Amino acid sequence: MLKIEKLSVRYPDQTIGIDNVSLCAKEGESVALIGANGAGKTSLIMALVGVIPSNGNVFADNVKLNKDNLNEIRNKIGVVFQNPDDQLFMPTIYDNIAFGLRNMGMNELEINARIETCLSLLNIKHLRNKTALKISGGEKRMAALATVLVMEPSIMLFDEPTAFLDPKARRILLSVLNGLQHTKIIATHDLMFAAETCKRSVLLKDGSVFADGPSKELLYDVQLMDKCGVEAIGACGREIY
Amino acid sequence: MTDIRSKIEQIYSLEQLSAQNSCVHGLHPLAKICSTILYIVCILSFDRYAFFEILPYAFYPLLLIFLAKVPIGMIFKRVIIALPFCLFAGVSNVFLDTAPVMQFGEFSFTFGMLSLFTIVLRTLLCVSAVLILVAVTPFDELTEELRRMHLPNIFITLLEMTYRYIGVLAEEAATMFIGYRLRSRTGSGLEMKDMGSFIGQLLLRSFDRADRVYQAMKCRGYALRNFSHAQNNLDKHDWCFILLTGGIFLLLRWGASQYVAGRFF
Repeated sequence: MLKIEKLSVRYPDQTIGIDNVSLCAKEGESVALIGANGAGKTSLIMALVGVIPSNGNVFADNVKLNKDNLNEIRNKIGVVFQNPDDQLFMPTIYDNIAFGLRNMGMNELEINARIETCLSLLNIKHLRNKTALKISGGEKRMAALATVLVMEPSIMLFDEPTAFLDPKARRILLSVLNGLQHTKIIATHDLMFAAETCKRSVLLKDGSVFADGPSKELLYDVQLMDKCGVEAIGACGREIY
Repeated sequence: MTDIRSKIEQIYSLEQLSAQNSCVHGLHPLAKICSTILYIVCILSFDRYAFFEILPYAFYPLLLIFLAKVPIGMIFKRVIIALPFCLFAGVSNVFLDTAPVMQFGEFSFTFGMLSLFTIVLRTLLCVSAVLILVAVTPFDELTEELRRMHLPNIFITLLEMTYRYIGVLAEEAATMFIGYRLRSRTGSGLEMKDMGSFIGQLLLRSFDRADRVYQAMKCRGYALRNFSHAQNNLDKHDWCFILLTGGIFLLLRWGASQYVAGRFF
């Protein structure tokens, strides 16, 4: 379970990134974070794992985020970045996946076993010894997902997971995400993807929660979405008054 | 773009060899580090005319290349990069130290030439020993052992970051360069007038990208790294390796080398 209480983020130039956000995602629930560019989706995700400083409370499985337990929190919450290249900085895909586990202090035998399971689950065993420079965007996305999934977090945060993906890779990712039983927060502009993966959506505007409700209602509400600068599903071609 | 990308791959190709299996790969990283340090110290301890005394030390890189099945061409290509630097350092000796060592008809082989060859040999052997160490030991394990050896953390972190961010910098440069070329007047290289802004932008973009990479590393526990999982103490194979190689290095330094040199002069 992920619980956020009155979370605020201010950037060094004092601009407000996140303003008093409170929300709760139950165990196994998938929540879509929707908002225009600059609405605060990425900032919220980064604040949840303590990468950027924030005020307010974050609880991951009832453990409160603070400076002393960042290690524990980051083992519970996994983040898949918007650009998979940011997560693939080691020479081979295997090393990239092993990076987090080695930091956890796990022995090589256990690391190997976990990686093999994860590669099989995501159907990317063929990438094991390849370098990130030589694989496709879809494969990079899967490899980046594997780097987080292998750490067995209970909560997973996705920042624009469909960015850089072609329709086929998007479809594969969709089925993989729907197969995961984790609590998931998915920040995305791809409303169809949000509707297909999350029953609940949270609409952000200027760093605050503007609306929170079932995806099948919220994502199709043209007027509501328009107020946040987002184009609702099916709104394309319609006139909005 | 392809060229820059292939250069990035070259940077990491040596480290990819460290994932192989061989008796050398299986040794404890500390044993390999100690042996390499001792090797370099022994070679550096000879005087500047000790070409023939240093020559037998070539056995060590050659033996490791053979045992670890490291492609010799890969090591050779990288060692060659160091060649201009040592040639530059030693070439003045040829003109300053003109006393003859041997006479071959009209041609006299001088002490200056001998010292130039010694510098070149010394550099090639030391650089190849370090390159082989990198090729047979995962980079993470190397830096971890350096930490265990109580080297200042700041130096090791700098080493790690530099190594990781070279790829990031090169990738950003490749992307920017292709964007530039597609819209430049000549469609080829970077023009001098654009050089300043190009490099400035490259720096800013690399900094931004490096920041995101660092965030991704932190999200997977990097800053809070627990070093207790480093390999345990040296086993008997590691000790054998250190004692055997160390013994040979010392023997060559003070014993057999005198004999070999004596036969030549």
